[in-house]
Amino acid sequence: MVIAGPLLIIIADIFIYQIAGRFGKRTSGKGAKYQPFTGGEEDVAPRGLYRSELFVFAALFMVVEAFALLLAGSFASPTNFYPLLFLAGGGGVVLIVTWWLMIVGGLKL
Amino acid sequence: MVDDRGRIEALEMIWTQIVEILIFPGLTFFVWIGFIFDWLERKTQARMQGRRGPILAGPFGILQPVADFFKLISKEEILPEVADRFVFQLGPPLFFAAPAIGTIFIPVLGPNAIVNNEFDLLFVLFILAFSALMAAMLGYASGGRWSIIATGRLVVQYTGYEIPLIVALVTPALLARSLSLAGIVAAQEKVWFIALAPISFIVFIVAALAELEKPPFDIPTAKTEIVGGWMTEFSGRPLAYIKLTKDLSYAFLSALAVTLFLGGPLGPVFFVDPILQSLLYFIYFVVKLFAVGFLIFTIRTALARVKINQAVRLFWMLITPLSLIQLGIIMLLGW
Repeated sequence: MVIAGPLLIIIADIFIYQIAGRFGKRTSGKGAKYQPFTGGEEDVAPRGLYRSELFVFAALFMVVEAFALLLAGSFASPTNFYPLLFLAGGGGVVLIVTWWLMIVGGLKL
Repeated sequence: MVDDRGRIEALEMIWTQIVEILIFPGLTFFVWIGFIFDWLERKTQARMQGRRGPILAGPFGILQPVADFFKLISKEEILPEVADRFVFQLGPPLFFAAPAIGTIFIPVLGPNAIVNNEFDLLFVLFILAFSALMAAMLGYASGGRWSIIATGRLVVQYTGYEIPLIVALVTPALLARSLSLAGIVAAQEKVWFIALAPISFIVFIVAALAELEKPPFDIPTAKTEIVGGWMTEFSGRPLAYIKLTKDLSYAFLSALAVTLFLGGPLGPVFFVDPILQSLLYFIYFVVKLFAVGFLIFTIRTALARVKINQAVRLFWMLITPLSLIQLGIIMLLGW
């Protein structure tokens, strides 16, 4: 159940989210309505890029921390299965997410 | 015949576990606790500010958070032109999944949870890290200027509170010599860890306030400064889900505090019958859960927001050393 339990929750969660989507209207397009909120200013800002060095370090901190946690699991485990699973699954997810943050956010290392 | 009976028993067991995970004492139970926490928080805040708070939906307005959730779900869902479509649309349910998965590791009806693992505390820590990362990702995906400023704040604040949060969570593990939540609960049969590690409990509550983005650490969602923070561009169903996730995280972190420091559902047992025992454990758990929840929303109502540099300085210069001192004391005394 260690794997099946979380998987069951994710499946149920996405299923309910899709069902809930039928209640409200979904719209997308171009024009003032679909521009990001500008606080009443007329000039619409381009997609913002966050180039702060501190943000880069913070994003890297997240990756290192998540890996440290995953590695720490291996010290308590009698077999290699769960540490390897956690490293592959958790580490992969964190890496992909952080990579996405950096690419979309326009971060430069 | 024997095979059929075995198969039916196996199916019944699987069905029971599915009900436990999705309904009680798993996800749905914690979602309702989150809704009640939301209502209690608003009521407490209103009373402390000389207002009445929610009164219309349900008795004493208790169903107001539920009404708000369904109202938001039925509203128009706008996809901003500059948003990253995939993350913007799929992110909210994944953000919700993090605390939702955490709930199945919390012991509610006895010393054992629905899912037990020998190092599930680390899994819980990973869930907390993923939750913050998901929030940052959602803010970034929406592409608005306020969202991006808020995402920066969120990530910087995260670097401040995450280390003390981890140290505070490791302390009970060290006391119990176990990384399993069930093991930590079992080790508190005689004395709760709040008595042995009070500083860690305080550190955990402070870090939980930051994780939940509650005052004085509501910097990433500061309404008077950056509109709705990283949630500014969200509307309709995604916003409903994000708000629900925040309520669920509230219940989950309070439950984690109960599990790690207040003996989980353990308490004096007067019955031999397992059903009555479970009922008693459940009552103990809920009473402790509301005590921790009430502590958190009293603090959040009483304090004003700090600046991001003040928050990070507070965490690095005071809260982190305090958590390490508590850890050092426990290691030196060999508890």
